[in-house]
Amino acid sequence: MLKTPGWEWMIVVYFFVGGIAGGAYFTAALADTFGTRRDGTVTRVGYLLALPLVALCGILLIADLGVPTRFMNMLRVFKFWNPMSIGAWGVGIFGLFSVVSAGLSFSERLATLRRGVGLVGMIFGFFLASYTGVLLSTTAQPFWGEARLMGALFLASGASTGMAAVSLVLLLIGGATGEGWRKIRWADRSSMVIELVVLGVFLAALGAAARPITTGHFAPLFWGGLVGAGLLVPLGLDIVAHRVKVVGALSAVLVLVGGFVLRYVVLMSIQS
Amino acid sequence: MARTLAMFTDTSLCIGCRACQVACKQWNELGQEVPEWTGTYQNHAHFTDKTFRLVRFIEEPKPQGQMAWLLMSDVCKHCADAGCLNACPTGAIERTAFGTVNINQDVCNGCRYCVSACPFGVVTFNHDTGTAHKCSFCNDRIHNGLGPACAKACPTESIQFGFRDDLVAKATKRVAALQAMGFKEAQLYGADSQGFLGGLNAFFLLLAKPATYNLPDNPQVPQRNVVRDSVFSLGSALLVGLGAIFAFRRRGEGKESDHA
Ligand code: SF4
Ligand code: SF4
Repeated sequence: MLKTPGWEWMIVVYFFVGGIAGGAYFTAALADTFGTRRDGTVTRVGYLLALPLVALCGILLIADLGVPTRFMNMLRVFKFWNPMSIGAWGVGIFGLFSVVSAGLSFSERLATLRRGVGLVGMIFGFFLASYTGVLLSTTAQPFWGEARLMGALFLASGASTGMAAVSLVLLLIGGATGEGWRKIRWADRSSMVIELVVLGVFLAALGAAARPITTGHFAPLFWGGLVGAGLLVPLGLDIVAHRVKVVGALSAVLVLVGGFVLRYVVLMSIQS
Repeated sequence: MARTLAMFTDTSLCIGCRACQVACKQWNELGQEVPEWTGTYQNHAHFTDKTFRLVRFIEEPKPQGQMAWLLMSDVCKHCADAGCLNACPTGAIERTAFGTVNINQDVCNGCRYCVSACPFGVVTFNHDTGTAHKCSFCNDRIHNGLGPACAKACPTESIQFGFRDDLVAKATKRVAALQAMGFKEAQLYGADSQGFLGGLNAFFLLLAKPATYNLPDNPQVPQRNVVRDSVFSLGSALLVGLGAIFAFRRRGEGKESDHA
């Protein structure tokens, strides 16, 4: 009797990219505040990655509307209990922080300001990575509406994919030398572990309500693509041999694939 | 605020003529649709962007081998606590002074959150207009004292429109009468304003359990979980944040250290 909203591939990509943008930003901010000066590359890469990604988020979000020219109507009202409403505001504010932080990432003189901005912007990064899950868990749909940990799971996935994306860029620009690389891989591993734990509790709490992803058509993708290839394999590879850059990079790619698979199976399982 | 207006659909009086369904189509200028085979006389299977009033034809096998034929003219419930209204981020969905729930077509931007939030699957996205559509209780008519087209057209007064408190009193008497006549499962659905969703402004008299009509027993406003789910997200944020802090903390400044 229920109707699904028809949030399909654009929203799958949006949820995925939003997670990475939020994850890259808060990783950058934490590295900036708690790291050493030599982690500066991680910070810069994180901020410079978040900026184009949040722009892409905005484009996808608007393009998916039935009447994209009325996007601004989202900002007519502010409903603080409504994930769609605060989401629209949150994406916008996160975008502003990304612009400022990306700009500040080039200046060492303004490091204190950058850290301050980063610590506040980080809140919106966490928000962007998780609100999409809460958006789904506050619908009347089966599975989504019962998943109390959907936001928590999306956040952990945003962290692991954001850190994976930062490490890949580090490698591509040749900044993956010494400490920065080891630290970001360490952080990524910790996020993967947290994601696995959250996923375990998520499934246990849902029980039979998780069937749309744990059994049937989407099960191979979920177990093979997310749990196996997207979490357990990269975690194993990274623990054993993250010092070999190729292995670290492979594990980062796998984490990204897993993050995409997560958004895909969650969204499409009850909508197809 | 004016007295709340409501619609009482007494399914025991419905003869399945579909005058309401047609009247709704005509008045609201809802276009033609390709029919769907549902295995019964019912068409369509569910509300669509062009079917706001839908007579459900339910065939229930009885223990004695006979079939019970249950009819129910279904519609948007105009919930007192409405999932669609809570969900709408543009303010397109508003509550009118009469207590009805209405989508302002000039404001809706087609985000479809309302579609996912209605516990009854009422709101439907229309690909031509790019907006969400549903019954408005004939907003134009009720604001001019005419009553909704469906209620006007109903030949058996199965659909009645009026002040909510009057209708609830009437409905309560009718249930008692039906039960006395031997309709043991006769019951009201959504009449209780202390009950689920704060009561439905379109409530029903059913002749069987709600589940027989594919109605949820205890529908809830999905937004009730926002705070809890957000707190869990915050917990997850703390964990990954601590992980990152631990990874990047100013350990071994100036010398190579290994955290692996
Ligand atoms: S039945 Fe659905 S569409 Fe109608 S008011 Fe309630 S939540 Fe909104
Ligand atoms: S689709 Fe339209 S009416 Fe429904 S929630 Fe979005 S803006 Fe509001």
